[in-house]
Amino acid sequence: MSRFFHGDSSSESSSDEEELYSGNEAEPKAEAESSEESSDEDDDDDDSDSSDEDGAKGTGASRFLRDDSDESEEEDEDKVTVVKSAKDKRFDELEGIIRLIENAEKISDWGAINDHYDRMNRQLPTLQRDLDGKAPKMYIKTIAELETQVTEAFEKQKVTPKKMNPIAAKGLTALRQKIKKINREYTADLEAYRKDPEEFMKEEIVEDTAPAPKKTKSKLLQAEQALDANDDGFTMVGAGGKAMIYTPESILKHLRSIVESRGRKNTDRLEQIKIMERLLDVSVTDYQRVRVLITLIATRFDLTSGTGSQMSQEQWKLAQEGIAQLLGILEQEPGIVVIEGAEEWEDDEKQPVVGQDDLVKVPGSVVSFVERLDDELTRVLQSIDPHTAEYVERLQDEGSLYIDLVRAQLYAENLKGNAKLEASQENINRVVMRRLEHLYFKPSTVVNTLEENTWKAVPENLDSKVSPRSVGHDVQDLVQVLAVYLFNNAEGILRGRAMLCQIYFLALHDQYYKARDMMLMSHLQDTISTFDVNTQVLFNRTLTQVGLCAFRAGLVYECQTALQDICGSQRQKELLAQGLQIQRYSQITPEQERLERQRQLPFHMHINLELLECVYLTCSMLLEIPTLAQAGSSPDLKKRVISKSYRRMLEYHERQIFTGPPENTRDHVMQASKALAAGEWKKAADFITYIKIWDLLPKAAEIKAMLEQQIQEEGLRTYLFTYAPFYDTLAVSNLADMFDLKEQKVTALVSKMIHHEELAAALDQVNGAIIFRKGVELSRLQSLALTMADKAQNLIESNERVLEQRTQGTSNAFERQPQRGRGGGRGGRGGRGGAGQFRGRGGGSGFTGGALGSAIRAQ
Amino acid sequence: MATDPKIADSPIREIQVEALVVMRIIKHSTTSFPTPATGCLVGMDIGSQLQITNSFPFPASNPENQQTNSNPADPYHQSDQAALSLAAPRAKSSATYAGEMIKYLREVNVDAQGVGWYMSCSMGNFVSQAFVENQAFYQRGSEEKTVALVFDVSRSSQGSLNLKAYRLSPNFMAALKDNKFSTESIQKSKLRYQDIFIELPITIHNSHLLTSFLHQMPAAPPQKSALDFPASLAELHHDPNIATNPLAPNLESLDLSIDPFLEKTTDLMLESIEQHTTEQNNASYYQRSLAREQTKIKQWQEKRKAENVLRGQQKQPLLPEDEWQKLFKLPVEPSRLELMLVGRQVEQYARQVDGFNAVVSGKMFGVRGNLLPGEIA
Repeated sequence: MSRFFHGDSSSESSSDEEELYSGNEAEPKAEAESSEESSDEDDDDDDSDSSDEDGAKGTGASRFLRDDSDESEEEDEDKVTVVKSAKDKRFDELEGIIRLIENAEKISDWGAINDHYDRMNRQLPTLQRDLDGKAPKMYIKTIAELETQVTEAFEKQKVTPKKMNPIAAKGLTALRQKIKKINREYTADLEAYRKDPEEFMKEEIVEDTAPAPKKTKSKLLQAEQALDANDDGFTMVGAGGKAMIYTPESILKHLRSIVESRGRKNTDRLEQIKIMERLLDVSVTDYQRVRVLITLIATRFDLTSGTGSQMSQEQWKLAQEGIAQLLGILEQEPGIVVIEGAEEWEDDEKQPVVGQDDLVKVPGSVVSFVERLDDELTRVLQSIDPHTAEYVERLQDEGSLYIDLVRAQLYAENLKGNAKLEASQENINRVVMRRLEHLYFKPSTVVNTLEENTWKAVPENLDSKVSPRSVGHDVQDLVQVLAVYLFNNAEGILRGRAMLCQIYFLALHDQYYKARDMMLMSHLQDTISTFDVNTQVLFNRTLTQVGLCAFRAGLVYECQTALQDICGSQRQKELLAQGLQIQRYSQITPEQERLERQRQLPFHMHINLELLECVYLTCSMLLEIPTLAQAGSSPDLKKRVISKSYRRMLEYHERQIFTGPPENTRDHVMQASKALAAGEWKKAADFITYIKIWDLLPKAAEIKAMLEQQIQEEGLRTYLFTYAPFYDTLAVSNLADMFDLKEQKVTALVSKMIHHEELAAALDQVNGAIIFRKGVELSRLQSLALTMADKAQNLIESNERVLEQRTQGTSNAFERQPQRGRGGGRGGRGGRGGAGQFRGRGGGSGFTGGALGSAIRAQ
Repeated sequence: MATDPKIADSPIREIQVEALVVMRIIKHSTTSFPTPATGCLVGMDIGSQLQITNSFPFPASNPENQQTNSNPADPYHQSDQAALSLAAPRAKSSATYAGEMIKYLREVNVDAQGVGWYMSCSMGNFVSQAFVENQAFYQRGSEEKTVALVFDVSRSSQGSLNLKAYRLSPNFMAALKDNKFSTESIQKSKLRYQDIFIELPITIHNSHLLTSFLHQMPAAPPQKSALDFPASLAELHHDPNIATNPLAPNLESLDLSIDPFLEKTTDLMLESIEQHTTEQNNASYYQRSLAREQTKIKQWQEKRKAENVLRGQQKQPLLPEDEWQKLFKLPVEPSRLELMLVGRQVEQYARQVDGFNAVVSGKMFGVRGNLLPGEIA
């Protein structure tokens, strides 16, 4: 017993309570004090000395007031003359420091004030604990005075030319900043003090004595039930230092006090959790358990309220178990419902009776708890290095989380089913969405196992209306059912998310056409910019997944277009929320960066970026190389760029003087591109199939075969584009040999090219040959001339724009400034008549529009 | 051409080039092609006529001499050959070289007065900053009479000599001296891209010895009264009358070669237009930023004025209103020189095509006249 007190004496409470303790308790108390005293002796000496001096010097109202407070304490001391409580000692100390500060103020020794101020602030937390989280009045008074003093001194220093001594000046600035920071916390108290100092100080006395009766009561409680609560001879000690005994009757009261202290500063949440665990053991009725659990779970979540910290695994597990327990109770006892917006049970003494016709409503939300649990797990996973065992360990918790999710869903459905409760649809939607979000990115085998385990864990008698037990066996159906449910019942963002999740799932399971149709019919691409960032990320992920799905299906063009936006931008990481991209010239504020960090997906949800890049580059290669060959050297065709990033890489690769054997994925694709452009399809195919990352895809062999075939076909096209001018005729069988394709395939490809007017040729089916026509293509001079005409037109247009700027957009620019000595003006003079004639004849032949154009023509 | 008012202002009105100089320039230029070749001209001026009697190449423009002036610290460093030879006429080393050379030439009794420089180009692409600077370097002196000869290698290879003489116009020289090519100054001086150069007429002078040699060349005109048409081209080549006689009409000169010429010109012209667009973008960027700055300044001035009104009411000293010059920095206007040169260059190309067309049509008419004997005879 003494050990408890010894450790806890620092948080000891008022002295009048001590009187009631038996003698053997007081002794260790004194012991504790003496040890403390010896350690503080030096300080105390200083303090008392200075306080003596100060006593004579103090003048004015403040002096009087402090005397007043001194007296009040002396009154307290009168009662306990034998031992001076630790609390009083601390107050004395505080007083001493305050005197020192006042002393130093008089001589403007700001350095010293700064030191003392720091000391005072160090003491404050313990003092505050003594006063139930309130700062001592003396303290408030001091800081209020200090603030005014400091402001004055600071102003004075600004005006007077004389320099302060550097130490004092430094102290002043430091002090000023500290005061600014700290005083913010006590704004209310300070205002009260400023309004009426005397009234404020007086209050203290009243408050000091106020808590006494309450404590006596708890003390009595202890006396009564000490024995049955503590078998092992130890007493539970509460936050106030008093021994606490918990009975089923007092549970609600304890809970109330805990709930009230929630959110306050300096509340020891771990301590509260311990109390509540204890309360849970003691509680007898389901109602009590539900109440305690709700508060307990909330407090556990409160443990990590900061943005930087994550829940420890232990606490998370406990919270999870708590939720499971809560759900278990609620499932068994239909008389109690936990629902949002229910009225608080005000009477602590009496407990509601369960079992009658009317339901007992308890305020709270199971769905919110489960959501919070989910969020916490996500946050933990975000912060752990994904390549450690810890990550896997934490990831395993997802199973139990999923069980809770399903049970919460059942419960929410149950509530909804109860007509009397008017439970909102929103809860079900939220929890179903959560469930869907845990499913959509997983392969069906994983989901199957998850579902099986879940339904095993859920009590037999329960079933869901939204997603019945039977649906769980077919994952596709399950996802479909959940998404459709949300689509029918939810609205806005949830609907969009449900849709995206389903599309993602379909794409993941190789149902490209279905996924594509849904993607297109949803028209989400039109509205996605109005959604929140997380949904946008989901949209990007879905789009990427659809692209990958198209690739697996061998649809190169579709894949490239789907991936273009994500991969072509060099911001894949940011767009998919898979890691922060460090931008060189970024102006991201720390706030933005923090938000960005919060958005990151946990590693197990990531889409492999390297695979993504590889797929994108390969598709780009298959599309770009024939296009490049087709464009040849003609200048205007160069504009047709399919993938800018691919072109850039290709250019970079071509600039290199020496190219070694390929090392990474990009090198492989680039070298394959080169080989393909030269018509060496075999080499290109080797380069591509050698890329290791294909093995990550399911059915890698099939995909490699698909790629090889694509390379053959595109190689053939490239070859024809490049070398057609050198042939008069070409046997189809030759081509077929060259590219290891069937003759029918070659014929089909060539026919297609002829039809698209990509190739000026005809098929001679009798002899099995391609006959090329000559002279159909534009000569170089002709294409150059065309480009030239374009350029000239652009030039004229830009000139006109400049002119328009100068003339403030007047329609007939030349009329306004006919005599300007500029070249254009001169032309205009001759041209005005001409332009008029042209217009009269019905506006020229369309060479260019505008005034300048006709002016030039008329010249 | 003599009526051109621009030429009337110039201290030189015509150029007389010795055949020797022409041959030297052709030789030097064709050997160093495609890098432009530059060299120094010597001669004398008589009244308004400038006689160019001799020439020598600048060492830097000679690829063989390249090794000698490479940097010993960095033997692998190779500066751009074209840029190097273009910079040669105004390089210090060339000036000393030219001085030495002229001294030696005087000793062998050659006219010893630097009268300018020459350069070679391809398809008329000589209008550049370097060209302008070179000529400005020569034209700096007050009593100078210098000229720049431009020899176009590519065009001369098509059969007709293409040698032009240029000087910078006094207007342009004045602008260049102050390096003022802002919109305002250009507007004030009424400088246009057409006014950058003055082209001077060239006459080629053969020495009497050479003329008499040419007159004595053993070339009896064909005795036959009627021409018997050759059966094939090969026969034409083997005809001793034509093959051995250097002055016999050359069939090569009938070659049209329209496509390569026009292609090349269009390519170059596209390049120039591209450059023009870049310059234009620069200019419009400048204009936008200027407008932005000006609105800022205006705001500041208004604020300051309002403040001063307030201060005037409170009887406080007024704040200066021209502080904005210190606070704001106007963007520097990009030089318009490059734009003008691009304009001149495009004009050059356009004229070239024009001239080419004239020649080609002439040739075609000529050929047609012979091919259709009935029409003429």
